[in-house]
Amino acid sequence: MTRRFLLSASLADPALADPAVAGPVLDQAQAAGLDLLLLGRAGAVPFDAQVLAAWAAPRLTRMGVVPVIPPRLGHPFHVARALSAVDYLAGGLLGWNPVAEGEEPEQIADLVQATRALWDGWDADTLVIDKASGHYLDTHKVRASHYEGRWYKTQGPVNAMRPLQDHPLLVVDAASPFAVPGVDLAIAAEGQSAPAAARLLRRVTLTDDPGALADAFAQGDIDGIHVDLAGASPELSSFAERFAALASPAPDATGTLRQRLGLPLPEILSAPVNASVKESL
Amino acid sequence: MPKPIHLWAFLQGIGHYPSGWRHADADPRGVFTMDYYRKVAQTAERGCFDAIVFGDQLQSRGAGGRTPQRLAMPTLDPMSLLSAMASVTQHVGLVATVSTTYNTPEMLAERFGTLDRISGGRAGWNIVTTAHPDTAPNFGETELPEKSLRYRLAAQTVAETSALWDGLNAQHGPSPQLRPVYVQAGQSNDGRDFAARTAEAIFCPAATIEDGIAFRSDLRRRIAEAGRDPDGVKIMPGLSFMLADTPEEAIARDEALLALADEALCIEYLSESLGFDITSYPADGPIPAEAIVAGTILPAADIARALEKPVAQGVTLGAFASRFVRTPRGHNIFRGTPEQMAEMMIAWVEAGACDGFTLQPAFMASELEMFVERVVPLLQARGALRKAYPGTTLRETMGLTRLPSEMAA
Repeated sequence: MTRRFLLSASLADPALADPAVAGPVLDQAQAAGLDLLLLGRAGAVPFDAQVLAAWAAPRLTRMGVVPVIPPRLGHPFHVARALSAVDYLAGGLLGWNPVAEGEEPEQIADLVQATRALWDGWDADTLVIDKASGHYLDTHKVRASHYEGRWYKTQGPVNAMRPLQDHPLLVVDAASPFAVPGVDLAIAAEGQSAPAAARLLRRVTLTDDPGALADAFAQGDIDGIHVDLAGASPELSSFAERFAALASPAPDATGTLRQRLGLPLPEILSAPVNASVKESL
Repeated sequence: MPKPIHLWAFLQGIGHYPSGWRHADADPRGVFTMDYYRKVAQTAERGCFDAIVFGDQLQSRGAGGRTPQRLAMPTLDPMSLLSAMASVTQHVGLVATVSTTYNTPEMLAERFGTLDRISGGRAGWNIVTTAHPDTAPNFGETELPEKSLRYRLAAQTVAETSALWDGLNAQHGPSPQLRPVYVQAGQSNDGRDFAARTAEAIFCPAATIEDGIAFRSDLRRRIAEAGRDPDGVKIMPGLSFMLADTPEEAIARDEALLALADEALCIEYLSESLGFDITSYPADGPIPAEAIVAGTILPAADIARALEKPVAQGVTLGAFASRFVRTPRGHNIFRGTPEQMAEMMIAWVEAGACDGFTLQPAFMASELEMFVERVVPLLQARGALRKAYPGTTLRETMGLTRLPSEMAA
């Protein structure tokens, strides 16, 4: 797979919860060639981004959406269920970015690990769905997780399927860092200590030099860029004008976000993603 | 002109019959796809339904740590499904069942606040306190708070959440309904009192028109006692249905669907209801009543009472389970022609047995489509169902009293 320059942006404008604003913004963001749109950001979560991500799901053609989730809006049991649903509804175009709002980083790591433990209580090939025999699922492939962390304790099994991508892409922002294995994407400014991740996005502004960023990409220092946008409409246009060319040619528009970005499957994976469900998508 | 009928579509996985997913026309894989929810939501909107309603649980199904193999589960998170459905519809209301015991006021305020905004004012909250004992360990607790305590906490949670909405509406500008429509479904004395003080719409079982009249009269009395206008609260009993061109065919369709509930399925279904895994006991043997009562996680006295009659009759475990699946859960079950169904619905509303119905399709999506194609036009022709939505918010659609602050906004 050709290595691609990734484009990411975040929006934390409360007006994004207005459908008259959100619809055109999503269209514009996709037209601008964004690979990822973060709903909210570390330090600014003016809505329930999980609800907005679900609303966005049927409108996505190629872009991934990444709800930003602080602990006050997400117990692992609720998060596991909501993100499983949105990942299916979005055809696997989902990521998530847990952030602290004054909590210790270890609590966010605990939230992530508890949520993953609930997802992993379902093997990826649990569903059978055979009408003729009446066999719906394999009971031996569903387990209680008995997760016990310092902040979160959850037994499971969760009443939600393992997500379509097994786990939605985990995004960690250096502005709210925490340490867990298997981070898919990290966002960090130049010179800022970046969380260990499969891909690194450099936090830049709309005035940064695209040429220098192309060089950094060519040298393998970064895998793409992330911009925190103040408002949607004019800024998305500026973003596209300045940076869209970095990502040419346009990426392949099939498969899940994990597949499109060439990211590895989560390690705890015990079997391939449920074939019967996936085929029907 | 008959009184207007309100309609809710109660969607639960692939439908309300435990064997529904096995029907040739059912689409069990669809419940993991957006295409299915787009189709279902647009069907309900085509039928001028007031709202789509999802129930919810905060534990996985099963008993004794064993997940059933023959029941269609898991389902996807209803709040996410309704948010996605908001994106592909314009008018239909979106009612989510969400627990006051296992959500903080902040979670509730942000989640429903965002849904009300992004849906243009179509959010409803079915307020539940969560009754299943398996829920507590999923939230790091050993047991559920006792029932009347749960209702006291619920009242407090609703009040705190409401205060947070005031704050969010001041901060971001008012959301279209200011807060979601409050729905309640509790049947106990605590539940009815809570509904009388809080709810704008109530879901309940009512097997007969007399049951409906009795329930609605009781609630209207309690609502008036709570100092509220009973006409401002809509009573929406459940309604299962099986339609065909003749009554005989409808019964035959129903029997065929019930026959797909084989003995093994029925035993899993019964296990769940007993709160005890009986799948390892022989189906042709006696009902292991002592083991069940000793091992159930549900209130043992209730379970013992439910087992008395079948044990005295000496039926086998398998026969008991098969009978249990066929036993109505207190909801009205209609089997007949579209014309008969429309007449029945109009008669119930005219008699004051309800203000509308919460339709429970046996399986999806074709049973909902059949209702919309065959019964909705008859109700509309009789003037009992609107042909277009009167406004945009769920409160307008349901004909509910607008909030005082909503009028000021």
